[in-house]
Amino acid sequence: MINKIRSTLNTIVKDIDKFYDEKTYHFLTLNGVKIDEDTTEIQWIFSKYNSINEITILYCLVDQDDMIPSITDILPSATISQMEIVDMFGISVEDTKKGLYLDVDSQQMPLSSCGI
Amino acid sequence: MSKKTINIPLGSQHISLLEPVRFKFECENEKIIGVDSDVGFVHRGIEKACVTKFKYDAIPYVVARICGLCAITHSLAYTTAVENLLEGEVTLKAKYLRMLLVELDRIHSHMLCLSHVCENGGFEAMFMQIMGDREYIMDIQEQLTGNRVQFDFITIGGVNRDITNEIANNIKKNLNIVKLKVFEYIEEFSSNWSLSLKFQNIGKLTLDEAYSYNAIGPLARAAGIFTDVRSETNYLPYEDIGYEIQVGKAGDIHARNFIRLNEILNSIQMCQNIIDGLPQGDIITKLKGKPNGESIVRLEAPRGELMYYLKGEGKSILNRVRIKTPTFSCIPAFMEVFKGSNYADAPAILASFDPCLSCTAK
Amino acid sequence: MQMHLQYWHLLTHALVVLQSRYDMKVSIKKAFQNLFKEPQTIDYPVSAIDKPKGYRGIIEYGEEECIYCLKCEKVCPPGAILFIHTETPSLNLKNKKSLEYNYNQHLCIYCGECVRACPKPDEALWQSEKKPTIGLKEDRVNDSWFEIEQLKNSK
Repeated sequence: MINKIRSTLNTIVKDIDKFYDEKTYHFLTLNGVKIDEDTTEIQWIFSKYNSINEITILYCLVDQDDMIPSITDILPSATISQMEIVDMFGISVEDTKKGLYLDVDSQQMPLSSCGI
Repeated sequence: MSKKTINIPLGSQHISLLEPVRFKFECENEKIIGVDSDVGFVHRGIEKACVTKFKYDAIPYVVARICGLCAITHSLAYTTAVENLLEGEVTLKAKYLRMLLVELDRIHSHMLCLSHVCENGGFEAMFMQIMGDREYIMDIQEQLTGNRVQFDFITIGGVNRDITNEIANNIKKNLNIVKLKVFEYIEEFSSNWSLSLKFQNIGKLTLDEAYSYNAIGPLARAAGIFTDVRSETNYLPYEDIGYEIQVGKAGDIHARNFIRLNEILNSIQMCQNIIDGLPQGDIITKLKGKPNGESIVRLEAPRGELMYYLKGEGKSILNRVRIKTPTFSCIPAFMEVFKGSNYADAPAILASFDPCLSCTAK
Repeated sequence: MQMHLQYWHLLTHALVVLQSRYDMKVSIKKAFQNLFKEPQTIDYPVSAIDKPKGYRGIIEYGEEECIYCLKCEKVCPPGAILFIHTETPSLNLKNKKSLEYNYNQHLCIYCGECVRACPKPDEALWQSEKKPTIGLKEDRVNDSWFEIEQLKNSK
């Protein structure tokens, strides 16, 4: 069963801090879905230990030139997922460098122009 | 006077490395204090190909070719996610046959990892022995599905080939032979000098670090967390066939070896229970409609937890396919384990993590 | 001082062995047994391997029974079956658009989806147990297939 909770770009760090507890919830990954030409939906996916089929998603809608705040103070394992969002969608994240998968001379931002 | 540090790479070309990964260690007198990693050497663009070029019923064959060792779990996770968005139900016999193949795949993948750990510890005769005994499992996989590595067995609505009485007898005979050999391995892994004394207290991941870095798979179970996707989901009936969770305490290389050996024994018992209690019925049902909506599925691959996220809008080409592989989310935990150990232990620690880089850089 | 250190090393070594929780007895016995066994490798082209029953081989086509519904072409995942227009069509009455069947055995993944989608699976299209042939350079395997794909895409 999936429950989705909506939040905004300014309050997302506080919402995750209030929601997440180390021993109850398990952080899976970050995900991005393209809604239309300008907006992308960024999702933070969590699951619960010791319970069956319970998944929580916190999401917010961003534009192409916004800056997503980084949550590596609360979740140290989110560094590699944030590098993938920068490479695939072209949206910048705080304190994250480019270049996980793509080289300088290849096609850039491949997932920002499909699925519409 | 401040101490000087030097940078040594464990490069993409190394004599003991099986996977294309590069780590740069910042060392001070043989102790590692900083790590930098590069994992994108084999990126092929599979997520983009799944939403532009292939229709939704050809994707189980595309996604199985991401990795050679966990091919069946990718295919099964995608198929289960699409079946949640269509109308219809899969029969119980098809679910039992799918579980049989997932557990056989887990046995041969753990044997490959154990042989690589022995080779890095210096014991090359044991490496050849385990690889030779792995051929019994590859034989029965070839009789059941037609191939040794890429099975092409799972399709939307069920499975492709049926099991006959002759194949079932061969499976039980070979599994009994492998079970005796695994008991001999357990005796050697606990009494031999180069496999037990050498690996204790090396590459330790403590319980607090495992919680804070969200470790998964045998890495987390060896440190003491009671987490396994097979007991946290209910798409496949695992509690009917005798599944038990295996947890260790120490968190070093020795504990991870024993978790893998115990999981092989548990999987052999589960396969024998499946063959004894196989129900009757059809193996494939026709499902109607086109995929519409969102669905998330998690499965237990041999290396950890695998997640698929799908979004469709009622057409035959999907909107978004997001694949999260087990080694991808363990990379921050790997980089934390390296800090504080000697540089000479780095190849042995890397082999005991069991990395699969084709899954990571898809 | 040096001799004291050596005696200390010998003493701890002997204590570990005498404890007999860690020893090499099992490995030495197994190494001796392995001296007299024959190797496990099969030298393949010289000695033959036995193929199991139900081996997945190349797809074969029976032209007289085909009804030209084109379901096998839609379902194939890598696109190894193509029907293109030809000037010399066959004498089958169902072949209304003058098409011809083309199959590439080097793109095929031998999954069998086309056989399951065909309305007449054992008469028009079936999977045999023969191995595919080796692709040599003088057969122009890739270039001839690219020409067929060009004809298909230009329609």
